Amino acid sequence: MRLAVEVERFSWRYPFAQRDALREVSLAIPAGEFTLVVGPNEAGKTTLMLAIKGIIPHSLAGRHDGTVRVFGEPVAQKNAAVLARQVGYVFGDPDAQFTALTVEEEILFGLENVGVPTSEIGARIRRASELTMISDLLDKPPYDISGGEKQRVAIASVLAMDPEILILDEPTSMIDPLGKDLIVDICGSLKRDRRMTVIVVEHNVEAFAPLADRVVLVRDGRIEREGAPRTFFDDVESLIDCGVYPPQVTQVFARLQRRGLYAGPLPLTDEEGVAAGTRLLQGAGRWR
Amino acid sequence: MGEAQIAKKTLLGMVPADSPFYRFHPVGRMALLIFLSVTPLFIDMPEVNLGLILVTLGLLWWGRVRMQQVRRYLPLLVTVAIFMFGVAFLAPGNRTALTPIRSVGATFYFEPMWWAFVSYCRLIAMLFGAILYFSTNRERDTLVALRSLGVPFAVSYVAALSLRSAGMFMEDFKTIREAQQARGLDLESLSVVEKAKLYTMYTVPLFAVALRRADEISNALFAKGYTLSGRPAGGGRRTDYLRAQYPVRARDWAVSVGLVGAFALVAALSKTTGVFSDHLSPLRAVVVGMVAAR
Repeated sequence: MRLAVEVERFSWRYPFAQRDALREVSLAIPAGEFTLVVGPNEAGKTTLMLAIKGIIPHSLAGRHDGTVRVFGEPVAQKNAAVLARQVGYVFGDPDAQFTALTVEEEILFGLENVGVPTSEIGARIRRASELTMISDLLDKPPYDISGGEKQRVAIASVLAMDPEILILDEPTSMIDPLGKDLIVDICGSLKRDRRMTVIVVEHNVEAFAPLADRVVLVRDGRIEREGAPRTFFDDVESLIDCGVYPPQVTQVFARLQRRGLYAGPLPLTDEEGVAAGTRLLQGAGRWR
Repeated sequence: MGEAQIAKKTLLGMVPADSPFYRFHPVGRMALLIFLSVTPLFIDMPEVNLGLILVTLGLLWWGRVRMQQVRRYLPLLVTVAIFMFGVAFLAPGNRTALTPIRSVGATFYFEPMWWAFVSYCRLIAMLFGAILYFSTNRERDTLVALRSLGVPFAVSYVAALSLRSAGMFMEDFKTIREAQQARGLDLESLSVVEKAKLYTMYTVPLFAVALRRADEISNALFAKGYTLSGRPAGGGRRTDYLRAQYPVRARDWAVSVGLVGAFALVAALSKTTGVFSDHLSPLRAVVVGMVAAR
């Protein structure tokens, strides 16, 4: 199995910080896997993503130990353009990443940086904007559109570069419910159609858990737990203690399980919940 | 069809996308900016600058810029006039060498007032040239023009980032002010001194936000593979998709060369022959005659 990301005993401390933001973190992500990273605020999730992207140690000052490799090579030895072609990064605050004055320029900026020929740029912009449903925004300033549109522009500008790994840092934190659904749909199509390695950092696990192949819990600068969603969310109570809220349907059935009313696997999606509920009620003879 | 396809959002407003200006390449439009905004520096004769102002107004109308958009600069024109003529009236210089004019119960001096008028005409002509350019061009046009003229990518990109930063600075300022108003701050009730203090207080959060944004943009540039040289991965020449969308035709070069040539001609004539000197102004002759008759 080809590994897209390998983090080996990686530690990082920001300047003037009292303690390490990441402490001997080890993680391996196979190519093509959809990984959901969860954890409370200030746990080190974003720092870990910055390390995978190479912003740490290239662009941020601090002290580090250990290694982060992308496709077998340490990120510390790759330059910005090479990393841009391999790892796409969508920041949590879309406004923070816009560097151009129209949406079209925002998308093409990265393409020019990584040396895509002019003849290919138009097609790439078209493809990325169609996938993210922003074709009608190309002429607008990126700071003059809604939060959801901004986030889709940010995703399009990264997707156009055709990276092998896509990192989305809290992509739905600043947008409305409809915008969130669109982002989740885009992530779904990246997994389904492109088989891209996707890493999503998100508090709202409800939407992304069904897409994830693996969930990773980061807490106090360490990876506290990781596993397939179905097993990861089994221990609902300890996750809530860690500040991670499993999908509501999972929480409901976990309560039923605790009261001895339900014995099956915990559902992750509404559809699974309806099916499990139906079986439960049928079993109790209350449902026809 | 979205608004973006009907009208273009320029730096100073909105202009119909089918404005005749867009038939010309951004380089030609930048040449027009140079001609209208820099030429007045070499012209003292107010009639010529007034003529340039009329030409600019005509171009604004021809370019289908909404005149309401232009009208909002009237207070600025009045303020500048009050300031310039006020200075000429209050601090005219060595009075013994000047020609006094008694009018409306006060003594004016012809020479400083005339020079204020000459400078005012020049300044307004330059200002209107800039208003025309920024009312009909987007940041993208400026970028394309600079890149077409061979300005290095890093320089044009820094210029674009500065334009964007100015917009973000204003947005942040607005947000901070709205937050204060939401917490009960009544700007109307403040005295000028209190307002000045308040504006000083704005600088702290504004600088903090600006520093944070600088950090964020630096990370974003790295994330998008930007290097200081602006060269793409693997070296070689940077592709320029934007410029490729705006081919420069022979007509555009002709317009640009013509306008820059006209500017150079005016500058050369002004320096070598003094043909645009205010002493040759027919208007001055008329005013001097009127002053002498008093």
